[in-house]
Amino acid sequence: MASNAYAMFLGCVIPNLLPHIEVSIRKVFGKLDVEVKDIEGFSCCPEPIGIPGLDITTWVTLAARNLCVAEEAGLDIVAFCNGCFETLKEAKILLEHDAKLRGRVEEALSKVGREYKGRVEVKHFIQVLYEDVGPAKLRGYVERPLKGVKVAAHYGCHLLRPSYLLQVDDPFNPVLLDALVEATGAESVDYFRKFLCCGCGVGNLDEEANVKMVMEKLHYVTQAKADCMAVVCPVCFRQYDVRQMMINKTYGKNYNVPVLFYTQLLGLAMGLTPEELELKFNRTKVDPLMVKLNGGT
Amino acid sequence: MEAYYEISSYFRKEMAELHMEGETVNYCYQCATCSGACPVFRYNSKYNPRKLIESILTGRKEVIHDPNIWLCTVCHNCTEVCPQGVRVSELLTVLRNLATREGNFPEHLKAETRVLVETGLVNAPSKATLSRRAKMGLPEIKTADPAEIKALLEHLGFIEVMAKEGKAGKEESGGGE
Repeated sequence: MASNAYAMFLGCVIPNLLPHIEVSIRKVFGKLDVEVKDIEGFSCCPEPIGIPGLDITTWVTLAARNLCVAEEAGLDIVAFCNGCFETLKEAKILLEHDAKLRGRVEEALSKVGREYKGRVEVKHFIQVLYEDVGPAKLRGYVERPLKGVKVAAHYGCHLLRPSYLLQVDDPFNPVLLDALVEATGAESVDYFRKFLCCGCGVGNLDEEANVKMVMEKLHYVTQAKADCMAVVCPVCFRQYDVRQMMINKTYGKNYNVPVLFYTQLLGLAMGLTPEELELKFNRTKVDPLMVKLNGGT
Repeated sequence: MEAYYEISSYFRKEMAELHMEGETVNYCYQCATCSGACPVFRYNSKYNPRKLIESILTGRKEVIHDPNIWLCTVCHNCTEVCPQGVRVSELLTVLRNLATREGNFPEHLKAETRVLVETGLVNAPSKATLSRRAKMGLPEIKTADPAEIKALLEHLGFIEVMAKEGKAGKEESGGGE
């Protein structure tokens, strides 16, 4: 269904917990030559950590239903959350290759009057920005280049792995996000533990392990003298933004790493103001970054 | 106590029943590259992917009563680094599916699936969120009819499975051997 219009799959986290990120998504994509449409009828993707652990068939069936919804609207899907992306893309690939699973899924879908045909493509929004728009063309939209800003790019797990199913980029040496960060005029800095998981999946059962994983990440981002982090998953965002503040308070730490969703960073580069992007709703404060952007004090 | 084990010669075959990559468990030679790449194992040695794969290989099915099998963050590092092409994270997902069928799954997932069954979402919007969205000028998002999602979940037997009570691990989450 190739065209440059997509069904927007925002998931559960962005609209319900981080609506300010949705503001940046809509404003940034509104400027681009890619149409992202609201369509009716998506459920939870469902999330790729707990639900497949409970029952793989249920996980793939609900995902397949979402693919049917996009198919009926005649649109490919663009996902704005790594979790949604993994679920929908992995379900699509598994259904192509696993006949036993497909039989079970098709039977369940027939009970609610749906038929899975497998024609919908699933992309993560940074794939759309990289492949449909491209870093070179993206530079043309930049009105305020983020010159001198050092960004620690964080890809997250469910965008890249398992690579044999997702087929996005190299699982431990990808280029997509770094290229998109540099398209804003900023520098994408190298740092240790760049591919460390945000730890969200273990948080409900072992809070301490989760906190240590977040602290390890923030430590190396700070050591690399990055001015901010750029993330492409709302769950990773919550880990580094909300949890960073919680760690400072509860564990007496003093991390000071502004965390931006990539569309927020791109929005700033496109000349949108922090007010227009509702950046005050980020828990970490972007003020130091803005000072640097405005020529320092 | 590890006095004796019941050995299931069928255990590793069950992997292939539930996942197309399940047979890869047979290629494991226990090098522990997976454990070395596991971010959870680094901070909590109760979650050791190599040992869990060993349990599958040796037919020690009692591992599905160990609550620690749920500590995985599903980052898939283990699958990526395996020199033998064993799909470690997929296998451990199947292991958790088998545990679920016995009623062994963590409480927080019970709560999460209750919301999923009722609303079709795992994070449903609160009144505060809806008013914030309106203030920000964001449109209303029309999600799936919860009745359709519930019908699917019922047909799949998911609701019935989630109502089961497990015999192990509930009182001592995060504990284990």
